[in-house]
Amino acid sequence: MKTSTIILLLFAGTAAAQNKPAAGSTLKPVADSTPAVADTAIKSKRALHEVVISAGAFEASDRAKGASLTPIEAVTVAGSNGDISLALRSLPGAQQIGEQEGLFVRGGTSEETRQFIDGTLLRTPNYPSVPGVPQAARINPFLFRGILFSTGGYSALYGGAMSSALILESEDLPEKTSARFFLFPTVLGAGMQHLAKNNRSSFGFNLNYGNQSLYNNIVPQKPDYFSGPIYMDGNVNFRIKTGKTGMLKLYSGWGHSDVGMNNPDIDSVALKAGYQVRGWNSYNNLSFRSYLSQNWKLEAGAAYSYNRQENNLHLTNEKGNVVAIPYIPYSYKTSDRNLETDFAQGRLVISHFFPQGQALRFGAEQFYTHDHGRSNDSLLRVTDHLTAVFAEGDIYLADNLAAKVGARMEYSSLLQKTVVAPRASLAYRLRDGSQFNLAYGIFYQEPANDYLYQPNQLNFSSASHYILNYTKKANNRFFRVEVYYKQYQDLVKTIPTLSNNGKGYAQGVELFWRDKKSIKNLDYWITYTYLDTKRDFLNYPYQLRPSFAAPHTATIAIKKYFPDINTNVNLSWAMATGRPYYHINYNGIDDQGTTKGYNAVNLHVAWLCSFIKNKKWKDFSGVAMGINNLTGTRQVFGYNYSYNGMVKQPITLPATRSFFIGIFMSFGIDRTDDFLNNNL
Amino acid sequence: MKKLLICLAVLFVTYSGFAQSNALQQAVAKLDQAQTVKDYETLEKTFLGITEQPAWLAPYYAAFCNAKIGFLLQDDGEKIEPYSVRGEEQAKKALALLDAAKQPKEAAEVYTVLSMVYRTKVFINPMSYGRKYGTLSEQALKQAKTLDAQNPRAMFVTAWVKYYTPRMWGGDKDLAKQLATQSLQQLATPATGTDPHWGKAEDEALLSKFK
Repeated sequence: MKTSTIILLLFAGTAAAQNKPAAGSTLKPVADSTPAVADTAIKSKRALHEVVISAGAFEASDRAKGASLTPIEAVTVAGSNGDISLALRSLPGAQQIGEQEGLFVRGGTSEETRQFIDGTLLRTPNYPSVPGVPQAARINPFLFRGILFSTGGYSALYGGAMSSALILESEDLPEKTSARFFLFPTVLGAGMQHLAKNNRSSFGFNLNYGNQSLYNNIVPQKPDYFSGPIYMDGNVNFRIKTGKTGMLKLYSGWGHSDVGMNNPDIDSVALKAGYQVRGWNSYNNLSFRSYLSQNWKLEAGAAYSYNRQENNLHLTNEKGNVVAIPYIPYSYKTSDRNLETDFAQGRLVISHFFPQGQALRFGAEQFYTHDHGRSNDSLLRVTDHLTAVFAEGDIYLADNLAAKVGARMEYSSLLQKTVVAPRASLAYRLRDGSQFNLAYGIFYQEPANDYLYQPNQLNFSSASHYILNYTKKANNRFFRVEVYYKQYQDLVKTIPTLSNNGKGYAQGVELFWRDKKSIKNLDYWITYTYLDTKRDFLNYPYQLRPSFAAPHTATIAIKKYFPDINTNVNLSWAMATGRPYYHINYNGIDDQGTTKGYNAVNLHVAWLCSFIKNKKWKDFSGVAMGINNLTGTRQVFGYNYSYNGMVKQPITLPATRSFFIGIFMSFGIDRTDDFLNNNL
Repeated sequence: MKKLLICLAVLFVTYSGFAQSNALQQAVAKLDQAQTVKDYETLEKTFLGITEQPAWLAPYYAAFCNAKIGFLLQDDGEKIEPYSVRGEEQAKKALALLDAAKQPKEAAEVYTVLSMVYRTKVFINPMSYGRKYGTLSEQALKQAKTLDAQNPRAMFVTAWVKYYTPRMWGGDKDLAKQLATQSLQQLATPATGTDPHWGKAEDEALLSKFK
């Protein structure tokens, strides 16, 4: 949906990434640059032998060196569709789940991965789910100057995610005052950013409107949409520097979506099963960071989000009339559910820096979640106050040996339980600059609200992570191998009764290789993920390989820039062996198997140009096009079963291939001279 | 006795001054032969130890060594930063020792090297460092050319930038060739002494890409 934005920025990125960037065209009056994601890794200032703790995490920062990823590179993987979590599926540890949005990491569900923006939780990163059709992300992935994708063993500063944390840091002031618009068949948008003359504050807004009905008329979709899909979103931001080191940022976004579709009913010949979801969402984030003195730093954050979602299921007959059939299984297919969620979070982190790059961080956060709504005739209501306190230290044991040790305590008023989660990691740097990393931690997560509406005795679920990693970065190449073992405890089970009796494990090996050097203007990375996992949760009768876990996954991402024709080509290829599927009923499993493998190639091409050659105003424009699932491979993600288990239908893509083509334009006031005169 | 001591002292001071001058002269002569990262690393240390007048030359050459190292390491972004950081400090130190209004030619030399140092910051990772330091590099170069339009080294750096920048962003290979040729003509007679005179080999390397 936000493909165009991606392409635009991809290009902005490419322009900067050309081997020897040019003068004066894309300029960045960056005043001070505090390192992105500074608090998630130890960074010594010791020039030539820097030890950075990196077990379990992929970091993409605007200060990336050599073959480390930058945020733009990380989010512009072909096929990412403007969704940061789809883009990160090109990194090891993530599964290729084509029928649903979100990140499924190392045997965990997408619920077990949480996204944090400037420290605070982004509760609903995507538009409301639609069965079988992944929904777009709400937040523009180019908003971030730092992305830390932790596939395990992350810092005590974060919690509430059993499997993975995606820690995002929003950008500070924009480079320049600029305006942009883009026009694609499915989405159009416009926005602007204004940077104050003194380079100390900025504001901006963006508006996007997406409607896929025109596109769906040209490219037939398997579901028969009776409403939308329509997506609308808008956001404003305001950022101001306070004092010498302070930065205050406000982001506020609102979104609305409406998707209604009919599919043939699997239990009957004549009926159609209708599904409609409409959502209204507001997300607000206020963050502040500042040094209090040379050695003390304060970071504070507050977030408030409101989410309203209306789901409607109904059956229609051949004449298109809604019918209500009062017996099973049809009665399940007529329902109404409205749910409103208020979520608020406050957070404070204080850091104290000691000589030699050592540091102590501590803080607290409070989460408030309130759900109220109804599902048919039953009330849905739940209120939770979760309190967390945490502390963490960065310790240099020797010049080439660093440790990060921390703990986090959480109390949930709803569960009436307190848990303590220890976290530790260790980094050892070898003489050749390569590094071994170890990480350990326990990660707690509350059961999803869906299980908390009814009276229950539920407790936190948890996972223990053990990670060993080796990285080597040299000559603009980056090699990484990681092995891990994870143990899941107290997973929620719904059958026979609602309990925390579930458990499981995951273990695997992951490889990552990136090479920016061997071929000029070509950047590629290759990953391999081996995953062995079993879990007993929800309605599983015993420990099973979950349906969202393929044992072998490989991905390739290629970015190639052709300077002579100003064209950028982005290709991604993901392969995975088949995923298990089950038909589970009260008697156990009555059918199971493994799907065929997954194999998808996505191609994006952007041609860049400049329409206006004016000295003061420069436009940065282009045409972008792309095809997802280029080879037209018929993907099978799993199977839907009829109630009696006699009919089995594959879950596939809504259309074999997806296409886009469009234009984008961006204007910026070239204020290079102002900037330079202040800096030289 | 006292006289003798004074004599000796005078002799010593003169000698060390002579040795110093020799040291700078020798280091520059070595610099003319330097090729590897190791050569430049050693020379950087040597230049830092030299206190001879004119004072701006020692930090200027130290910064130049770091710039050369950055260019040699341009495909190894992980390693460049400490050299760039030192190079920037040294170039700025050299600038502080000059009065650009009275010594425009000398200041042009330093701005040329500062431009190269900023370029090495771009090599760290063009994606993350390109916009900021590419701009700074360009501006330093502009400053150099304003101060001394005919400086052959500023001309070489301009040629280099024109050669490696894609056309859409202002690159121009023909202009690059022309500038490098012009710069080379100025440097044709091999210069010695301690004044900046590098650039011939650099021009030739760039021009060899056109063959």
